Order: sequence, then structure tokens, then C-alpha cells
Amino acid sequence: MVNVYEQQDSNKRRSLLVVAFFVVFVVLISWVFAQVLDYGSGLMGLALIFAGIISFGSYWWGDKMILAISGARPANKKEDFNFFTVAENLAMASQIPMPKLYVIDDSAPNAFATGRDPKHAVICATTGLLQKLDRTELEGVVAHELSHIRNYDIRLMSLVTILVGMITLLVDWLLRSARLSDGNRERGNLGAILLVAGLISALLSPLIAQLIQLAISRRREFLADSSAVLLTKYPEGLARALAKINADKEPLEAANKATAHLYIVNPFKGQKSIGMFANLFNTHPPIEERIKILKEMV
Amino acid sequence: MPEILIVAVAVVAFYLWSVYNQLVTIKTRIQASIQEIGNQLKRQADLIPNLVSSVKGYMKHEKAIFDELTEARKAIMKVVDSGDPQKLIDASQRLQSAFAPIRAVFESTPQLQAAGPTTKLMDELRDTADKVMYSRRTLIDLTADYNIKTVTFPSNLVAKMFGFKQEAGLKVPEGETTTPKVEL
Repeated sequence: MVNVYEQQDSNKRRSLLVVAFFVVFVVLISWVFAQVLDYGSGLMGLALIFAGIISFGSYWWGDKMILAISGARPANKKEDFNFFTVAENLAMASQIPMPKLYVIDDSAPNAFATGRDPKHAVICATTGLLQKLDRTELEGVVAHELSHIRNYDIRLMSLVTILVGMITLLVDWLLRSARLSDGNRERGNLGAILLVAGLISALLSPLIAQLIQLAISRRREFLADSSAVLLTKYPEGLARALAKINADKEPLEAANKATAHLYIVNPFKGQKSIGMFANLFNTHPPIEERIKILKEMV
Repeated sequence: MPEILIVAVAVVAFYLWSVYNQLVTIKTRIQASIQEIGNQLKRQADLIPNLVSSVKGYMKHEKAIFDELTEARKAIMKVVDSGDPQKLIDASQRLQSAFAPIRAVFESTPQLQAAGPTTKLMDELRDTADKVMYSRRTLIDLTADYNIKTVTFPSNLVAKMFGFKQEAGLKVPEGETTTPKVEL
């Protein structure tokens, strides 16, 4: 088993790697773009600056961006008593500062954590989660999210969310302009080749982006589950919560492709069995497997 | 070789300084968690009279339960300022068991659950009990850390030098001695 410190180091390292990957990717795309459309290398410089700003922004304000995308409101002790006090207690027990708490108004039960380090962390739950789970189950879920915070999973995951989202936007935009420039045919052979290269990279990149999500998401869910149990000393609570969330078939409207991997349980339930790629691109390990492992800890 | 001597003295001084600080830090945090247990017990004790008056209508014939609850509350008031963790925990355990029949009645009485104030009180009591539990667990972990430092070489020399003694700590209750098995 990986210990927590190794996991923290690896997460910090990978966060840097993801940013580097993003910058290289943006510059590469802008290069292809500049070749096809006969722009100078000024475009690449611009792209570099753009990528730098976006990367810094998603490190510094990633949590706020994600909360804004998801339409969350701050939680308070009066309305969300159990959520608030459970988070307070578990933060005390795990000796990290109490994270900020947010609530998404959605009846599908789910939760996620985001932020850049334990001092700037956020836990967000849906109203469905808060209503459907009892306190013990909620404790399991909050402990799971706190483990993500303590392991620095949140930094990596937030960066990936924003940067992958950006890549998807960029590729969409590129595809559209490629289609537009298809109209004028006076370019030479080179132009056509580069256009093809551009198209291929445009088609490949969402795939790559998806694969990043896959690579960084599955094992950390298992690790967060087991660290959560070390915190609550009660595997049954989290197991019951996962079963309840899984049994609920309602998809979460606030989630999209970029934020899906943040949640404790895949928010696109019921849609996952479509096509042969479905399992390949699944960002979460199967709930049944997670519950089985939790039951074995009892 | 005066340089080597100076370096050696500096290294030793640095070591002394860091171990001393560690011990003081842990000790302060042990005190803080004991205090937290005391604070939460005080809150529990304050909540009891309200709880009693809110459920009394539903439990007319069970005077013994309320008497025990009142006694448990008194016991808390007596030890709350003592700063002795074992006494605090014992008092809290007594309150929890005195509290159990009320919880049972609450869970089987829909009218009681529908009435807001009782639910609110039950939530508060559950939360204070959780806080006591987590503080107690922190206390146990910290005490173990601290005691290990005061007996293992070479930090035990520093502990002895500055008069850090072993902390009594708490008896670990039944059922918490087994750590859950973790596998990946």
C-alpha cells in the first residue's frame, strides 16, 4: 500500500506534470494552427502566455471556478447542522484546518472536495446527499473527502478539471476554425498535411484528456476510502453511504465531463454502459468493489 | 580544532532545541484536547435540562430514567473543572448510558421527532458526544506519541534534562484496540 506521504509527494509532482503537459499541449496546438493558417511564431508566444495565465489561475482560483461551474452555495451550521458538525469533528480528528463547506441544490446524492492544499480546501455536498444519508453515513463520506484533501488529491484533481476543461474548449474551437478554413483551397500540399495533422491532434486530444482523468482517479478513490476508515474507525458507515448513493439512479445535473472525476461516485449513473469504450473511460472504480473492500475491513 | 567543536556544539544545541519544542508542543495539544473534552461535557450538561423538559410529556412513568440523567449531569458538573481526563471520560460515559433510554424513546416516537426542539437537542447531543469521542481519540494518540518520546533514546535524555514526565493518558476502551484492516 502507498502511504499517505508518498501519495502527497506523488500528487504534488503530478500536479506540476499536468501543468507542464498542458502548457506543451497548448503551444503545440498553436504551432499546428500557426502553420496551417500561416501565422507567425507570435501566436506561439501568445499561447505560452495564455497557458501560463490559465495554469496559474487554475492553481490559485481552481476551487472557486469549480464551485461556480457547479452552482454551489456556502453551507451554514444552522441549515446544514450534520454536514457542518461532522466536518468540524473530522477535521479536528485528522488535524487539518476545517475546510470551507458548500452545498449544491440537487437531489442526486453526491459530494466532492477541491482546493489547492489543506489550508485552502472546500468540501461540497448536494442537498440530496445531506437529506438521504444519516449522520454515520455522512461521516464516512466527509472522511473520504477529507482524505482527498490531506493527500493533496484536491490540488491535482482541480488542476486537471480546469485544464482538461480548457483543452476541450480549445479543441472545440480549433475544430470549428479548421472546418471554416476548409473552404479556401489555394493552400499548397504542406497546408493540407498540416491541416490533417491538426485534425488528428484535435481528434486525439479529448481522448488523451480522458485518459489523464482515468489514470489519476481510480486508485486514489480506494486510498481515500481506506484513509476515511482509519479516521472514523467505522467502515460500515462509508459502505452504507456508497450503497445508498449507488442505488440512487438520478444523474447529477450540476456535473459535466470535466468535473465528473471529482465526485465520490460517478455522477453519470446509468449512462455508463453505453458502448465498448464506456468501461475504459470510467473515472471511478466500480462501487461494488469499493463496498466489498470496505466490508472486509470490518 | 575549534571549528569542529563549534559545529558539534551547534548540532547538539539544535537537537536539544527541536526535541524540547516537540515535547512542549505535544504537551500543549494534550492539554487542549483535555480542555475540549471538558468544554463538550459542559455543553452536554447544559443541554440536559432542556431535553428533559421537552421529552417529559412522552415519558411520564419513567422517573428513574430522569433521576439517573440528573445524577449523571451532576457528576459531570463535579469533574468538569478537574482537568483529569479519566474522570471526564468516565462522567461522559455515564451520561451516555443514562441517555440511551431517552434516545430509544425518541427513535420510536414519531410525534417527538416531528417536534423541532427535541430533534435539535438530540442532534446537538449527538454532536457533542462525537466531539468528546474524537478528542478522546486525539488525546490517546498524542499521549502515546509523547510517552514514546520520553522513553526512547536519545529523546529520553532531553526529556529527563527538562523534567518531562510520562503522561497518564486514558484507558483505551474495549473495541477500539482493534484497528481496521486496510488493504489496497
